[in-house]
Amino acid sequence: MEQEAIQELIYAYSEKMSGKKKLKEKDIIKKISADAELDKDVVKKALRAMIDVGKLMYSYGGGASSVEIPTEEYLREKGMIK
Amino acid sequence: MSGKYKTPMLDELEKGPFPSFITEMKKATKISTTAEDALGQLEKSYQTKRGYWKHGGIVGVLGYGGGVIGRYSSLPDEFPGVAHYHTVRINQPSGFFYTSAALREICDIWDKYGSGMTNMHGSTGDLVLLGTTTDKLEAIFAEYSSRGWDLGSSGSAMRTPSCCVGPGRCEWACIDTLGLTYHLTQHFQDEMHRPAYPYKFKIKTAGCAVDCVAAIARADLSIIGTWKDDIQVDQAEVKAYADMGMNIQAEIAEMCPTECLKYDGGKITIDNKECTRCMHCIAKMTKALRPGKERGATILVGSKAPIVVGSLLSWVIVPFIKAEEPFEEVTELIENIIEWWDDNAKPRERIGELLEVKGMRPFLEAINVPPQPQQVREPRKDPFFFWTAADLEKK
Repeated sequence: MEQEAIQELIYAYSEKMSGKKKLKEKDIIKKISADAELDKDVVKKALRAMIDVGKLMYSYGGGASSVEIPTEEYLREKGMIK
Repeated sequence: MSGKYKTPMLDELEKGPFPSFITEMKKATKISTTAEDALGQLEKSYQTKRGYWKHGGIVGVLGYGGGVIGRYSSLPDEFPGVAHYHTVRINQPSGFFYTSAALREICDIWDKYGSGMTNMHGSTGDLVLLGTTTDKLEAIFAEYSSRGWDLGSSGSAMRTPSCCVGPGRCEWACIDTLGLTYHLTQHFQDEMHRPAYPYKFKIKTAGCAVDCVAAIARADLSIIGTWKDDIQVDQAEVKAYADMGMNIQAEIAEMCPTECLKYDGGKITIDNKECTRCMHCIAKMTKALRPGKERGATILVGSKAPIVVGSLLSWVIVPFIKAEEPFEEVTELIENIIEWWDDNAKPRERIGELLEVKGMRPFLEAINVPPQPQQVREPRKDPFFFWTAADLEKK
């Protein structure tokens, strides 16, 4: 599976869980690799690439880190939207 | 009093002979407008006995999940200068060695983008820069990284490994704490900057059991230098200590926790098989006693401060392991330990807590370390190891 297609699955899952559960990297990797029968490292690489370009972002709350879909404020601050 | 606010309670903290953080904060008001509001808010906290800081949220630099700790005032209208007052962590060099030029470089950048205030160092080990705003974070990161510095770690990640000064400044270092910490920092870069663990994981390395970095109390994984063979004794120097008036019987022999050291009024004898390598005698009689020559490290697991549940001290897992370049054996062990924790821990569960829940047996099996007497933390207490019928049959 192409990386772009994996990233679409990751984004769809992150969007679905938004507001319901704080997802750790590992939660996403586990879910997508199981659903799409992919190697965990392949999913991890796709996920990291999304974080590097701001399609996903790290967040922090209650002592733990999570991965989320970026807010407009975050994208604006990073110069990704005006 | 600062320029903008009356600070009678803070002013009290400038009295007396010791250096005062209030004096330093007041100095910072000359280069930073935010320091005044920081003082104003602190005075209010002292008056009302309440804290007004909030932390967390979404602050950081692109691609990194840690290194910046979001800090906000809960009274932004009253103290607008500290509405955003984030902390930036910079990965410290092993053993906290800096040139004065390096410190000037760090501080000049911080004066440009931040409050100008630091506290060196945070208990994580990172160099801590206090007080900046969200819009300056990318520029701060760009400036520091262009000069060879990197952010430290925060959140559910491998925290920046730290160590004592080791062989750089200390004759007792049984291992190269500086080299090992540098190696671990490079090896775990991804885990430091991309938080993927259930919670924080700290590694601290001390060159000997004097443990100047308090690894045994502050790290999920404590690496403490030790030795396997006999303590080196120079009897002529023992005599010199006695001649200088040291009460060797009271100060050394009677303070030995296992009573393995004896003094007959002339010579010291040590029953090395009973010695726990605590360093008491060596630290007291530096010229007469030295660690043995076969050196390595003890690996302990599980200490933590009392966040979430109570504090814990580390627990011996591997009594002796060689810790020499390229540090493969230690690194592999650490990876196995983290993998077991990562696979089994609930969110916000430290490895010390998990060990108490799961017990020693599954842990030791997973990391491929045999049960050993040194792992019994407290005599006559449950060692958390349960033998199976198959184990008993082997006997």
